[in-house]
Amino acid sequence: MVNKKRLYWTLQITGWLSYVLLQIVFYNFSNESGIPLRRIFFFTIEGLICLGVTHLFRNYVNQWKWLNLSVPKMMTRVLPTISVLGIAIYFLRVPFSILFNIVTVQRVAFDPRQIIIGSSFYIILLFVWSLFYFTYHYIARYNKSLKYEASMIEIELNNLKNQLNPHFIFNALNSIRALVDENPVKSKQAINHLSNILRNSLTFEKKGLTKFEDELKIVKDYLSLESIRFEERLKTELDIHSESSKFLVPPFMIQTLVENGIKHGISKLTQGGTIHVKTLVDKNRLKIQIRNSGHLLNGARKGKFGGTGIKNTMQRLKLLYGDEASFRIVNENNNFVLTEIIIPQFINTA
Amino acid sequence: MKALIVDDERLARKELMKLLEEHPSIEIVGEAMNAEEAIQMVNELNPDLLFLDIQMPGKTGFQLLEELDAVPFVVFTTAYDEFALKAFEVNALDYLLKPIQADRLSETVSKILDKEKSKSAAIRSADKKLGLNDQVFVKDGDRCWFVSLNNVRMFESDGNYIKVYFDSNRPMIHKSLNALDEKLDERAFFRASRKHIINLSWVESIEQWFNGGLMVKLKGGDKVEVSRRQAAKFKDMMSL
Repeated sequence: MVNKKRLYWTLQITGWLSYVLLQIVFYNFSNESGIPLRRIFFFTIEGLICLGVTHLFRNYVNQWKWLNLSVPKMMTRVLPTISVLGIAIYFLRVPFSILFNIVTVQRVAFDPRQIIIGSSFYIILLFVWSLFYFTYHYIARYNKSLKYEASMIEIELNNLKNQLNPHFIFNALNSIRALVDENPVKSKQAINHLSNILRNSLTFEKKGLTKFEDELKIVKDYLSLESIRFEERLKTELDIHSESSKFLVPPFMIQTLVENGIKHGISKLTQGGTIHVKTLVDKNRLKIQIRNSGHLLNGARKGKFGGTGIKNTMQRLKLLYGDEASFRIVNENNNFVLTEIIIPQFINTA
Repeated sequence: MKALIVDDERLARKELMKLLEEHPSIEIVGEAMNAEEAIQMVNELNPDLLFLDIQMPGKTGFQLLEELDAVPFVVFTTAYDEFALKAFEVNALDYLLKPIQADRLSETVSKILDKEKSKSAAIRSADKKLGLNDQVFVKDGDRCWFVSLNNVRMFESDGNYIKVYFDSNRPMIHKSLNALDEKLDERAFFRASRKHIINLSWVESIEQWFNGGLMVKLKGGDKVEVSRRQAAKFKDMMSL
């Protein structure tokens, strides 16, 4: 963000500065008597006017998100605007041209022919400026979307490998098979849970975000299946804020973190433990907290097993929300590990 | 054949027991839900066969095996653990993937019964000492072996570790040679010196050595010095 702002100002200042210098040099060569000081002042002020106007124009473009428009729609807005601005620049510099004695006869400045020629020049200037500005942003955006796509593909691959890990599926199937004799009703429910998870995992790659309730359903299905497997060793608690349903979340993200908590926390404990999923809504932000019994080892994040799930999650959050989302995993106390993500309500499109 | 099932999941144990009902030659003597329980039950019940899950809370299946002196036949049961199973040499182990299929289980059971038959000819030492027919589990880094003591030429102490010589491998196990010596059957293994225990069935030739000691040459070429203190005892044993 800071870098982009800096780049913008560097380009603006050097651009208009070279415009002023070019004017001066050109004038100096085309006049035998050289350039008078008042001319230099005038050109500098003209450059400053152009800098100011284009900066206001840029703020206006950002405010109305013209960069998100299709090219034809953008053109129908940009062209009239720069025409108006071109004329505005012409009149803005009139007082200075009179002040510095550039125009000796005052009424020449208001001659319709002069207005048209003068304004046209500035309109062309603004057009070139817009060309640079919009092209830069389109290319940047295209690069970003390419990067995004590449990362999404990588994430999908990792998902295929990790998120619905085969260990979970086969263990679930194994428990279900034992349950068929013991409790046929429960085993049918378990098949429903598993098929729901599998169906979601197949369609998931097609959507970038999913409704919070849908994700919550996956988490519940997942926890039901793991409860069958771990029995009394797994206790689950859900504490969901009623406004959570207003949010969209990246699919399978909460499920992954819950699975991590069970895999690296509870399944390692002989006595088992508790997994607690809590959501909070605060100022258009959704805070999701997952607590699991266990202890995070130093460097476990980079470990052989713990790495990919967490790395994926951080990568996805970064891609979807930039700096607007946050993630952390810490030992809350000696017995619990806290995994927390905070996401904004809307995707930041700017 | 006495079998012990080791798995942290009750339903998984139940399912396996149900499948094993079809195999009356396998008698299930116990179920353990973690490694600690399993070690205790192995020592008490002395099973011939372990059905062993790899991923368990507390200690893993591998850690369990490392803590056992003599290791019974082992069939690993796992949902998906390519990584762990790759540690073994091909054909060196039996494993069943969960959900376990009846056909695969039958194959495995008959394979185990065959192995058992060829083994039962030898007499099991009553005092539970490790004889030539017993196997041990050896893990060195990422590699694992089930080694029949028959194939072990000698043990060599190396700091806090013992080097186990078999085939072309010399993996290290974390044990003291004295502790091992006490567990080995003295009719099969001999404490040649402070540093070595040799397998008597591998002895090829014996020469006189300095200071009244002996130099023993093993099949395969390894040479081991027998200290003077042990030489008399050794001569006794070899001459019957």
